[in-house]
Amino acid sequence: MDIKDVPCPFCGCLCDDVKIQIEDNRITGVENCCTLGNAKFLSKSRLQHPIMRKDGKWVEVSYEEAIDETARILSDAVRPLLYGWSGTVGEAQVVGVHLAEEIGALIDSTTSVCHNPSILAIQEVGHPGCTLGQVKNRADLVIYWGCNPIEAHPRHMSRYTTYADGYFIDNTATDRKVIVVDIRRSDGAKVADEFIQVKPGGDYLVLSALRAMVRGKSDVVPDSVAGVKKVQLQRVADLMMKAKFGAVFFGLGVTMSRGKYKNVRNAIELVSELNRKTKFTISAMRGHFNVYGFNEVLTWMAGYPFAVDFSRGIAFYNPGETSVIDLLEKKEPDACLVVASDPGAHFPKSTIEHIAAIPTVQIDPCVNATTALCQVQIPVAITGIESAGTAYRMDGVPIRMKKVLETDFPTDQEILERIVTRIREMRADG
Amino acid sequence: MNVIITFRNHENPFIPIEAEMITPDAFLEEKNEICVAVGNRSYPLSEVADFSIVGEASSVDDIEVLIRGDTSRVKRVGEYMSGGAITIEGDIGMHCGNFMSGGRIEILGSADGWLGREMKGGEIICHGDAGDYCASGYRGGRRGMRGGSVEVFGSVGDFACEHIAGGEVLIHGNTGDFACAEMKGGTVTILGDTSRVCANMSAGTCYVYGSAVEMIPTFEKKGTVNHDGVLFHHFRGDVANRGNGDLYTVHFTYLQ
Repeated sequence: MDIKDVPCPFCGCLCDDVKIQIEDNRITGVENCCTLGNAKFLSKSRLQHPIMRKDGKWVEVSYEEAIDETARILSDAVRPLLYGWSGTVGEAQVVGVHLAEEIGALIDSTTSVCHNPSILAIQEVGHPGCTLGQVKNRADLVIYWGCNPIEAHPRHMSRYTTYADGYFIDNTATDRKVIVVDIRRSDGAKVADEFIQVKPGGDYLVLSALRAMVRGKSDVVPDSVAGVKKVQLQRVADLMMKAKFGAVFFGLGVTMSRGKYKNVRNAIELVSELNRKTKFTISAMRGHFNVYGFNEVLTWMAGYPFAVDFSRGIAFYNPGETSVIDLLEKKEPDACLVVASDPGAHFPKSTIEHIAAIPTVQIDPCVNATTALCQVQIPVAITGIESAGTAYRMDGVPIRMKKVLETDFPTDQEILERIVTRIREMRADG
Repeated sequence: MNVIITFRNHENPFIPIEAEMITPDAFLEEKNEICVAVGNRSYPLSEVADFSIVGEASSVDDIEVLIRGDTSRVKRVGEYMSGGAITIEGDIGMHCGNFMSGGRIEILGSADGWLGREMKGGEIICHGDAGDYCASGYRGGRRGMRGGSVEVFGSVGDFACEHIAGGEVLIHGNTGDFACAEMKGGTVTILGDTSRVCANMSAGTCYVYGSAVEMIPTFEKKGTVNHDGVLFHHFRGDVANRGNGDLYTVHFTYLQ
């Protein structure tokens, strides 16, 4: 059996043109997908039962026992942390936010370690953005700044930018220019018409220089800025101003290098400045397939997109104080629930040590690096393959994820709902 | 009135205590029970600290609060205070003196992040170092510190005086990255070194007695001036932001 137009539950591109072949409730073939998505659709390893550490050994336990233990850990905690969320759908994230409010927890998502600074910058100066369809059909200049779509979002260029046919673009190969800004000549840089090599940490300075040039104030700019010659900067500024529709995409090279949200703010203000001369937009290259969705869910429920502290009964938001890395670094949390992400594989060592030192529960279909840090792991259905729901693409477009395989595994949403119910029962019993 | 609060050592010293009620203003009203939050639990102050009150006060300015013990994780002390004095013997946690409009806070140790965030008046003196966002604003806010004065004898972290719109800040040591970013007013004096200072400033005045490394490349050179017996390079900017602020620095370097 073939199923068409399946959205891919891997990266923020959320490609929804994937074709899946299924035989005997198993995926036997994938078409249109990139290697990253393919690997996820065709992955076979998973955890079969809930597991719990008892006397230093992993033992298989029932869902009921695992949920009971999770509820006990979370309701005993004085500063519980609920982290992850980006690899599951909005319907499960909603229950997660209710859980956080119920137990006075801190709730944060993988946003905290990727585009957190983008959000801080947008809160300062706004977001001149657009959907990817606009870029595909109109953009005659595409700028990739601090990101390498060929490795991280393999179909971004072919679906939405460089190689995509556009309604208002006659010949996409000749009429679309590409600029790449990076600290090294990545694969993405090799297809660019103009490559700007910035010294590490120098993005802010280059962006300031470009802003001054777009304003017609080139005279104040020194001959070289962060490793980039002034003549090249002037050429790029002219390219930008001549474009009919420019689209900037930026990645973690901008958000997670020195200066963080100030870099993003400067990029946004460059785009604002360019909008006085022509049409320009800017968008973040979001990572997980539904990292944007968590920002949406938490914003409509708590008023803030990530890093919310419910410990005082109200939503308090202050990245740097209520964000996951800062909290773990300061050893604040005394219990942790990890859902649909793998901090064990990505976080700094000192923070991982703290996760391992406190009672931690993970809800995830697979054994991963975080499993080694946990006391309990509860396996679930794979979102976007075995369970349906809503995810948000990197440009904020909601897409319905499909269920293509039958499963006996419960969904993230079901497990979280059972944890909330159990905590309420425990509290009613005193 | 003299209030002495001594925080006891607690079982898990890493859990922060939020103590926004510790202000001279709160002690003026007798019926006030001072409560603090420890993680997601709320307790009367007596649960975490011993405290004694001696004498009476007819106005907030008659009240002096002395805070002792391990207070490095005690947050929001002096928030919204309008008068009186708070002295902290050790280190203090985040958000000390948030929004304060009057009075005096003296910290004998060091302060954590957001010291004097969005303060409007009064005086903060910190004898040790201060963390990130000293005398700055809140996330997404357009104006940081608006009035009063902050003096730090040690060094400060990143984003010091971000969005500052008024008041005076004196930093005896060095600053981290992006001091005075988005500056809109007020006067900041840095006696040590600083990095990427005054990025995107629109107004205000900043003096750097040490070295401004990685100068923002979009400041216009205006020559040299003598201030306080020292020769400063005068810059105007940030040109990228149509800014009209003044940056005076003794030394500067660009990232070329």
